[in-house]
Amino acid sequence: MSTEAIIMFLIGAVLLWGGLALSVVIYVRAARRDDGSATGG
Amino acid sequence: MSSSVNDEQTRDQWGTKLGFILAAMGSAIGLGNIWRYPYVVYENGGGAFLIPYFVALATAGLPILILEYSLGHRYRQGAPATFHFVSRRWEGLGWWMAGISFMIATYYVVILGWCLSFIWYSLGEQWGEDTGAFFIGEYLATSSGAAPEGFWELGGLQWKVLVPTLIAWAMVYFLLQRGVSKGIEMASRILMPALIVMLLVIVLRAVTLDGAANGLDVLFTPDFSALGDAAVWVAAYGQVFFSLSIAFSIMIAYSSYLPSRTDLSNSGLIVGLSNASFEFLAAIGVFAALGFLAGVSGVPVTEVVESGVVLAFVVFPQVISALPALNSVFGVLFFATLFFAGITSMVSILEAVIAAIREKFDLSRRAAVNWVCGMAGVISLLYVTEGGLFYLDTVDHFVNAYGLVVAGLAEVLLVAWIARTLNEQREHIDSMSYVKVGSWWTISLKFITPVLLGFMVVYGLWQEFAEPYEGYPGSGLVIIGAGSVLLTLLLAMALSLNSRAPHDDLVHAGKK
Repeated sequence: MSTEAIIMFLIGAVLLWGGLALSVVIYVRAARRDDGSATGG
Repeated sequence: MSSSVNDEQTRDQWGTKLGFILAAMGSAIGLGNIWRYPYVVYENGGGAFLIPYFVALATAGLPILILEYSLGHRYRQGAPATFHFVSRRWEGLGWWMAGISFMIATYYVVILGWCLSFIWYSLGEQWGEDTGAFFIGEYLATSSGAAPEGFWELGGLQWKVLVPTLIAWAMVYFLLQRGVSKGIEMASRILMPALIVMLLVIVLRAVTLDGAANGLDVLFTPDFSALGDAAVWVAAYGQVFFSLSIAFSIMIAYSSYLPSRTDLSNSGLIVGLSNASFEFLAAIGVFAALGFLAGVSGVPVTEVVESGVVLAFVVFPQVISALPALNSVFGVLFFATLFFAGITSMVSILEAVIAAIREKFDLSRRAAVNWVCGMAGVISLLYVTEGGLFYLDTVDHFVNAYGLVVAGLAEVLLVAWIARTLNEQREHIDSMSYVKVGSWWTISLKFITPVLLGFMVVYGLWQEFAEPYEGYPGSGLVIIGAGSVLLTLLLAMALSLNSRAPHDDLVHAGKK
């Protein structure tokens, strides 16, 4: 793979998967604060 | 409004918030993530496409998704009654969205049937050497070969397609009958993790094949000059719009089943980013596999790149046959991945219709599911005929390009400019959510999204008149394509004539 292709892949991966991971962390923390369970309805 | 359907005590609810997120992910992640997105990236600047894609996600995809969560959660209704509460005269918009979903469901299930067939055909690679001839000629038995000559040759029912379609219908019916929590949520809890694991296995196998790097190079090498092309930006907004299940009325129905205390904005972020992450991963797997196929065939990668039905049912069987080992296993895995992605979307598409029908006619779930599945099942027989592929392709094109986009545009215009309830929705979201949506959300929905969706409609129409879609005959495009959109519109008008939701109920409930 060319360097520019690798850079574009990394940008996409960091923004998408990083953003998703951050959202999940926020979700879990908020759920714990609410009722102590991430799946507690 | 039916008290039995909408009463807080009896209305269907998700068992858990996680169940809702998985079901919403299942709705958003569908066939298009696997067979459409990779080609759209390749066709529109490669790696450079990620820039308009992220802009579209931030300014249209996520804002509309969160808006629909807010609408459904606030009013606790399906789309027709929700829009009635937003503005009395706009119930028809909700019916139009439900009608579009119904129309899409009638052919989507047939594609699920194809996936089931190809899971079977994967065993021993029964498609043979010429995968194109097998799929088009032998399996679909498409009439007279090419359109436009064969467009109107309906032909007989194709039993090879009918049987798996009926099996797919049976599965969909079973899940819908069981209801929101025991049916859709339970299926999503099993199928979504399985889908992600299966895709990861496929991607890991694909990127370790010879020639995979060449495919990924073609996918990600950026052509920044493409960013100056308006068509690339339209493609980015189109991809985000079609991929997220927005304007289908699905997300309104799904969020109406949420408990009263739910983080709406973060749920939207998780679902939106999961969907985008999934299709990004799928693109890596698809292009790595195409790089391998190009190497085996001794041709450039650009010569094997395809999208849609041809990518899945013609090119991928070639890839599977060319694998060095475990061909049948990876064949089953690939088509099962497609099926899992498709059935969770299919169920959500019909649930949006069922929610609307139940509220309107005060029907039990069983009766509503029987009616909706029964009618959609009869119409789906059209796509099981020898001419079915042409009709499917035509209806899909028109319903998506004009039905969904115009409905989405009307939805945004209604909330932002006609009823002017955007600030109320924003207050509702922020009162529920850890992540506040902020002014970017309002600006996006008020200015950016309407302009871009409006441009998409005009651009699409301009292209339509410049060149008939796929070279199909004008009569076919008008009768089958434009006719299907018009039919949903007429049905929506008819159903909204007897507008019946007691508007004052919500005023008294403090929700208006």
